[in-house]
Amino acid sequence: MRIADHKYLNLWREMTRAQFKLRDQSSFFGFLWSFLNPLITVGLLFALFSAQLSNQIRYYGLYLLIGIVNYTYFSNATGASVNVLQSMNALTRNGVFPKEVLVLSSITTHTIDFIISTTLCVLIALVSGVGLNAAMLAIPLILILQLTLVLWVSLLLSSFFVYVRDLMHIYNVFLRLLFFITPIFYGLSFVGHGIGHFVLLANPLAHSIMFARTILIDGKLFDVKDFFFMFAINATLLVGSYRIFKRLEPTFAENV
Amino acid sequence: MFDSDCAIKISGMSKAFSRATSYRTLFRLLKGTLLRNGAPVGGFPALHDINIAINRGDKIGLIGNNGAGKSSLLRLIAGLSLPNEGQIEVRGQVTLLAALGMGMIDELTLEENVFLYGAICGVDRAIIKSNLEEIIEWAELQEFTTAKLKTLSTGMRARLAFSTARHIAAEITLMDEVLTAGDRNFKEKCLDVFEGYKKSSRTFIFASHDLDFVKNVCTKTLWLERGRQRAFGDTESVLTEFQSLGKAKS
Repeated sequence: MRIADHKYLNLWREMTRAQFKLRDQSSFFGFLWSFLNPLITVGLLFALFSAQLSNQIRYYGLYLLIGIVNYTYFSNATGASVNVLQSMNALTRNGVFPKEVLVLSSITTHTIDFIISTTLCVLIALVSGVGLNAAMLAIPLILILQLTLVLWVSLLLSSFFVYVRDLMHIYNVFLRLLFFITPIFYGLSFVGHGIGHFVLLANPLAHSIMFARTILIDGKLFDVKDFFFMFAINATLLVGSYRIFKRLEPTFAENV
Repeated sequence: MFDSDCAIKISGMSKAFSRATSYRTLFRLLKGTLLRNGAPVGGFPALHDINIAINRGDKIGLIGNNGAGKSSLLRLIAGLSLPNEGQIEVRGQVTLLAALGMGMIDELTLEENVFLYGAICGVDRAIIKSNLEEIIEWAELQEFTTAKLKTLSTGMRARLAFSTARHIAAEITLMDEVLTAGDRNFKEKCLDVFEGYKKSSRTFIFASHDLDFVKNVCTKTLWLERGRQRAFGDTESVLTEFQSLGKAKS
């Protein structure tokens, strides 16, 4: 079964569309809720840390926003994918289609939110006085890098969750930790050159955020070599996690 | 050897499910489940030594008491599960209708659910779009088009789902007890659809407890008993054997 088959693409589209419709109807603010949550976090962190950090970090509000937007995408998309095979167990058990469609449709709604949020970041950067520059054309590359990261983590988590049911709790703890080991509200210099520096360097999410800030705050292109190195790592991990997912797929129906 | 007329060939196939609970924790996993190569601890047999060949265009009835292995066999043919022994060879696209309306969403409207369910069943969007009115009309739900699915009764949902599923064009269609919901009128309408399938070149396997339905629609029948292949062949002779055993037991 090939995922590129048009009927599976149709299923992906219909499931994504259904999720959008459900979200729009689920509350008064509907679609806006997905943006309000990160904005409230940005507001809170800005109120807490701006007095101390605004002098050290340029455009601190924008700096925070970029960090939160990227973290929120990663956390929401991967968090929603963890138990997707279990929560849609009737389809996992009886649906004759590649099960990655379920993971992909769960990620897609969050990816669309992320694209809209990143566009808002660009507009806010322009309004803040960063100025329009050619490096902004590289923003889609950051979206692709983030998507690759989200995809491999989601495929791996969703397939492991079928066998390890407490993975959801473990992952929620990890996401909480990730918030603090990612330079969202502090700068790289804040952690010094000790072990914290290596933790940040080993964190792929931190790299995506730094690439985005280089473009939207410094107004220049990120280090292309660094970018392609990170992309190569994530793409390799995506291939690996997809293979693991496909290898485990024939056992999903018996175990959900 | 896979005959050119053959759609499904099952040889010496056995399947056992693990008794171990799937609700594993990371602790248990680390403790050794995976380190022991994931070998199932004391599996219970679901199917044993199944040998059948189904030709293109065959309409197969799959009968047997609850727990005989009918649903497991359909899942194995659909590729949703792997056999422990033997082989299953399938030629052509497969669709499994295990529960009518599986994947439909309460909060969406009828029309939205028709598109969604059509996609789940592998029906082309263009086909659903061009037949949308007819699908809702067949289900006799014209006045509910914009209503949410949650406002429909179980029978009405089954009608809508079956009406959509009629447009499945897969070469091999597997149906697991699809006629359990719905009133007499609905069942009669469904039987008309199945009558139409009789002439089709597509292959069908119907798992059913309704022996009259099997007798009317199926050319061949497979009788499973506690996971074993009790009989496979001409529907009339298999049903006679099945019914005589039932009488003998009572």
